[in-house]
Amino acid sequence: MPTSTSTKSMTEKPRANRAKIWFLVHSWMAMPIWAFVFFICLTGTIATVSQEIVWLADPASRANPPAQAGNLLSFDEIVAVVNEGHPEAIIQSISRPVKSQFALTARISYPDTTTRTLYINPYTGVIQGESSRFDFRQFVRGLHGWLLMPWTNGYSWGWYLVSITAVPMLISLITGLVVYKRFWRGFLSPRLRFNVNARVFWGDFHRLAGIWSIPFIAIISITSIWFLLQGILQDNQVSFSTAGPPIYVDRADVPQLSSNSQTPPFIRLDEATAAVETAFPDFQASFVSMPGNAYAHYRIGGRSVSYPLLFESVSVNPYNAKIEQTRRISDLSWLEIITGSMRPLHTGDFVGLSLKLVYFFFGILLTLMVFSGMMIWSKRTFRDTAAVLRERKIKQQPNKQMDSQIPAYALKEGESA
Amino acid sequence: MSQPRASQSRHTKSFWFRWRFHLSGLLLILPMVAMPFYFDDLAMSRGEKGLGERDLGQHQVGPWQIQLAEWDTNPPWRDGVASYMKTFSLSLCETCIPEVKAAYMRIGKPRNLRTAGAISFGTPYRQFISVPITDSATADADIWLTLEGWDGSVHQISMPLADASPSAATFIQRRNH
Repeated sequence: MPTSTSTKSMTEKPRANRAKIWFLVHSWMAMPIWAFVFFICLTGTIATVSQEIVWLADPASRANPPAQAGNLLSFDEIVAVVNEGHPEAIIQSISRPVKSQFALTARISYPDTTTRTLYINPYTGVIQGESSRFDFRQFVRGLHGWLLMPWTNGYSWGWYLVSITAVPMLISLITGLVVYKRFWRGFLSPRLRFNVNARVFWGDFHRLAGIWSIPFIAIISITSIWFLLQGILQDNQVSFSTAGPPIYVDRADVPQLSSNSQTPPFIRLDEATAAVETAFPDFQASFVSMPGNAYAHYRIGGRSVSYPLLFESVSVNPYNAKIEQTRRISDLSWLEIITGSMRPLHTGDFVGLSLKLVYFFFGILLTLMVFSGMMIWSKRTFRDTAAVLRERKIKQQPNKQMDSQIPAYALKEGESA
Repeated sequence: MSQPRASQSRHTKSFWFRWRFHLSGLLLILPMVAMPFYFDDLAMSRGEKGLGERDLGQHQVGPWQIQLAEWDTNPPWRDGVASYMKTFSLSLCETCIPEVKAAYMRIGKPRNLRTAGAISFGTPYRQFISVPITDSATADADIWLTLEGWDGSVHQISMPLADASPSAATFIQRRNH
């Protein structure tokens, strides 16, 4: 280790001391909780591509177009397909991705009180299967987001335990950059030495992955701090939603039927979605919830074209196709747009597979950064502990300085250890 | 004599030194312990464990037969600043599905259809009604279920709240004292 022992002036001392403190803060942020943070990063990384993992594992969840791929099924055609295949079932909602490799899904309710999700081919209308009782995607999200802890009274304790780790993560990022003198040099001359020893390799890796992940770590930790705040706000009944109380269909619009034994006189789904798409030509309906009762609306939603991070929804009167409530980007307050963007920013699920893979890659890097940080610390600590013990044996004197734990790059400017 | 003891303590110290930073891994016991409850909750929400946690049986409401259940046996849950809620679940008999327009529930007898209480949401096979626990509610009150037909007919039943939801009755009793 070529450490130049320049004792230039008195001004260097406080700077070195400050660097030392920053370095200690950096080390202590993650080290005591590294195993937990490692687990969160790993499960989060898997969660970003959990839908794709299901796609790989379960052929029923895929949307393979036939040789002569025609138009996608309309919502009414989907309803007809389900009614034919499962005549006893009642549809609760349909999710029909506009452009996707995934099968469309219909959530249906059975007389035995169970609900299931059907996978339907969006081109052929073939009911390809139903989502397995073990929902991998949901499970990984639950494991990552709240450690599967229950939500009986307000937010889950697991939610708080996970989201609070964002605070040391953000501090780690900031202190890491402060400690790593002229970190931008790492962009121009990346260095990853495989041939020295494990400690050097993990050190190089930690710094290199760190600087390339600056935006990713910032996004993940800031959005997670929002999740923490979200839990605190909700649990204290603080809301800044502009949605207002739920709306109901006016009693005058709900027909009185002279004799019983008639199905609800709802308009067809395609009529409802057409009404929305006529009123808002830039609206692409991709999911529909059926009215939950005779006074409820069709809720039709889709990803916003102008701001794809968020979904928009419109409530349509199921008797006369009147649009009675809109929750589009223009209906949201700035605060709602910003806070609503936090989750898609965290998961990377708003462009498609390409962005998910980018998130997956940086997720792996971040997971390995937690691991490499631990490796560096323990290898250095073992080495230094051994040195201290040796020293004590000889001198019978306690350890005087922590300097030995501070790497050279943190202490002096320029070329590092 | 002191020499071996000292080296032993140094040994344990370095062992502690090595392993104390891995202790946060013990937090992973939490999801392992929570997992069976997680799958239980999931089965409940998918309706695989029946209509609700506490079955309240079949009831005849005018011409219609329904099944009623207390969705969970927990104390009422807090719904924003508004109030506390108790959720019940309900399913309609096969023949009454096309006849019943809406179901409502409230604590205390409603004066008319407009005050019949909270409306149910869901499918005829499984719908939920979250009943607000009003400030004036008493533990010995009755809970009233109102069904409205598509033909405009209205039919009601009532039962003691303490039977429908002992946890809600206990909650009110505690609050009022």
